[in-house]
Amino acid sequence: MLRFLLARLSGLILILLLVCVCTFAVFFVLSPDPAVQICGKNCTPELIDQIRANLGLDEPLLSQFLSFVGGLFAGRTYGAGDAATHCAAPCLGYSFQSSQPVWEMVTERLPVTVTVAIGAAVLWLLAGVVGGLISALKQGTWWDRGAMLVALSGLSIPNYVFALVLQYVLVVQLEWLPFPQAVGFAADPWQWFANYLMPWTVLAFAYASVYARLTRANVIDTLAENYVRTARAKGLPSHLVVRRHALRPALTPITTIFGMDFAGLLGGALITESVFGLNGVGKLTADAISSNDQPVIMGVTLLAAFFVVAGNVVVDLTYTALDPRVRVKSV
Amino acid sequence: MNRTVLVRLSMVATAAVLTLTACSSSGSSDSDSDDESSAGDGSAFTDTPAEGGTVQMLQNADFSYLDPARGWDGGVNNFYRLVYRTLTTSAPGNADDANAIVPDLATDLGTPSEDGLTWTFTLKDGVRFEDGTPITSADVKFGVSRAWDPEIGIGSPYARQVIDAPEGYEGPYRSGPLETIETPDEKTIVFHLKEPFPEFGSVVSQPNFVPFPEGSGAGDEFITGLIASGPYKLESYSPGSSIKLERNEEWDPETDDVREAYPDAWEFVIGLDPATIDERMLAGQGADVNAISGSVQPATLPRLQGPEMEDRTLRFTGVCTTYMGLNSTKPPLDDVRVRQAINYAVDKSAVQVASGGGQLADVATTILPPTVGGYRDYDIYPSEGHTGDAEAAQALLDEAGQSDGFSMVLDIRSQPKMQAQAEAIQQSLGNVGIDVELNVIDTSTFYETIGTPELQNDAAITGWCPDWASSASTFLPPLFDGRNITDRGNANLAQINDETVNARIDEITAMTDLDAANEEWGQLDEEIMELAPIVPLVVEGNITVPGENVTGLHSSPGVATGGIDLVLVGLRDPERG
Repeated sequence: MLRFLLARLSGLILILLLVCVCTFAVFFVLSPDPAVQICGKNCTPELIDQIRANLGLDEPLLSQFLSFVGGLFAGRTYGAGDAATHCAAPCLGYSFQSSQPVWEMVTERLPVTVTVAIGAAVLWLLAGVVGGLISALKQGTWWDRGAMLVALSGLSIPNYVFALVLQYVLVVQLEWLPFPQAVGFAADPWQWFANYLMPWTVLAFAYASVYARLTRANVIDTLAENYVRTARAKGLPSHLVVRRHALRPALTPITTIFGMDFAGLLGGALITESVFGLNGVGKLTADAISSNDQPVIMGVTLLAAFFVVAGNVVVDLTYTALDPRVRVKSV
Repeated sequence: MNRTVLVRLSMVATAAVLTLTACSSSGSSDSDSDDESSAGDGSAFTDTPAEGGTVQMLQNADFSYLDPARGWDGGVNNFYRLVYRTLTTSAPGNADDANAIVPDLATDLGTPSEDGLTWTFTLKDGVRFEDGTPITSADVKFGVSRAWDPEIGIGSPYARQVIDAPEGYEGPYRSGPLETIETPDEKTIVFHLKEPFPEFGSVVSQPNFVPFPEGSGAGDEFITGLIASGPYKLESYSPGSSIKLERNEEWDPETDDVREAYPDAWEFVIGLDPATIDERMLAGQGADVNAISGSVQPATLPRLQGPEMEDRTLRFTGVCTTYMGLNSTKPPLDDVRVRQAINYAVDKSAVQVASGGGQLADVATTILPPTVGGYRDYDIYPSEGHTGDAEAAQALLDEAGQSDGFSMVLDIRSQPKMQAQAEAIQQSLGNVGIDVELNVIDTSTFYETIGTPELQNDAAITGWCPDWASSASTFLPPLFDGRNITDRGNANLAQINDETVNARIDEITAMTDLDAANEEWGQLDEEIMELAPIVPLVVEGNITVPGENVTGLHSSPGVATGGIDLVLVGLRDPERG
């Protein structure tokens, strides 16, 4: 087990390094000069050079990359003499646009993203798995057809459209909910819930659709297995057949995609956060990309990669718990 | 929900997603503009507000910097006036001449010496920082010297351009005090200039002339904090999300003829989706009755048509000209007749429609917009209804030996509005045999491309706004002085380098009588247009729907590039919302 964890941990670091290299290549080497954008109006070549020097862009690319990676593990010092500022590890550098430390920008926004992700995950797991299970058990009924129709629309309506429709109906027309803002749970639990309900619903709708269809298909498949027939033939009550023999194997693939989906969401729900004006990591990413703020892009990409890789490890661990066959093989 | 609502919503949705990629916050030439020409019942917007309450400002992008030596664009300059004061400043939006520059911390607009090389200002009594310490001439000197710091001084360039400084001076933190600024006593400050600059009284209105206590603001101290000299101080700042301001009790209204400061507090809600901002402003629920915002999205315009919305819609005309620069180094555009022909041929009314129609944009026939000092109305390439005169254009093309037409490449940003403008131009030039190929460039690379003569193509659509509105001196020289052409960051897109124009610029810049100078700027505008280096297209205004409880809404051409002048805004009923 320990060896398994260690192998996974070193894999994680390797993947993060690779992500570093790729992101750096795409955003530092191939993308336009951010100094020109920052320079703006009444720009002069001298000012561009000055900004390039401030941002460290006048250094050779390799040394830029090495100091970035060095900063991640050991921190780095910017400027010299009185004007020097130290950025402690893990240092992600400073935003080109606002000069704020990227680490702070990301960690300040993480709570919003985590709140959005957890709330949405609870909703979509409940709706998806329960909905899919009922559909599978009542295959072909009006419930099954209706639920699958809803699931299909969840898959096919782009979530920014759904978000705006929902906002228009619930907030503008009916005035049931406020325009979402990131309210802290401690400040006012009810407002917290009311403000996050729409973002949760919008995100959960699309995911729940996938989960419902997947659960339904898996359960139907397992119910057709021989051992299920055997269990029924032994006279096991129907609810036990479903719970012990059908649901558990049907849920293992769900665990896999859930781990991936949830980890991916922790890297930021770009569209949902942007549409609802929630300043999470996703909104930060969208803003950074449109303003070509390279250190911030690096930071959020690394964060997202970290969550996805870490999510994978957790999924693998859960798998061993859920599926005895994997346990035997991996140890 | 009926079908039209759905269609409309999906349009809003598309616009929302498009704008996610279309907003660049830097101080470039995007138009964010207006002046006193409101639709609907104008008086409701300009009532005198009551004292108290909190005004909210809903916006998409965060301000560039809290530090006035770093930040310098239409949005943040307006914000700075709430928290900072400078020696002089733009007149308040409700002044008789809103373009004028008026005294702020100083008692007057400064006194030049006989040779124009030395300017002396005297500070008013009773001006203080938020901690109660009096603001002295040393604080002003320290504040402006920060403009020379290579890391901090990336804002307004005028201080460095105009004030004499020792060779290699790098701001107070690296090089010590700036010796060329004298402070004979606590109230008097003397600037020494490189060359006479008659509008120096306007230069000291720039944000980097904000005073700061000696030694403050090193490193990133002013990245998330500030030291207020204006009527408000920072209560809290969470970057990208919100800025809250509260009253600065040390600010004495007796010393300030510009700021009314009616509300007790301000809250800037940042990071909202533009479509959501419009929804909130239209719905006006709860505390949103106390909110203002920037210009509405084009997709929202149709919803402002009803009689019920008409009274709530506030329209300001712009201070920025959107134009097409013609690169005069590329044949056949090096022939003035060809450039004139293009000026005749472009259907500006179609460009106006593409810019959001008459509600949002006025056709431009001059370089200067009407809201900038020196503006003179003329049209030397006239056509009926501004739809273009293909015959006159063809005649000039024939004369230039271009009867068969030619093809040219037009650089534009990947932004729906600009693409629509470019297509209107493409179509009208197609009528005279000029084949326009649109080169759509990502916003992040656009300014690099058009500002680098080596990369620039035949033509580009962009815009320009003045840095102060009292004269054309920050409008015509940067765009048309041939001696300012640089290999990067170039603003003279036409690369026009005409000796007569250059000489005229020198002549007018040296004039000490502002009115006489403005008269001449207006003349020069037309003289330049005879060379047809650009095609003025439209002056884009803005339309906002302020919350019902907000009033005192005046535009300021100078400080807000025509937007709502924040220092005059307040609430009708502070108890509401």
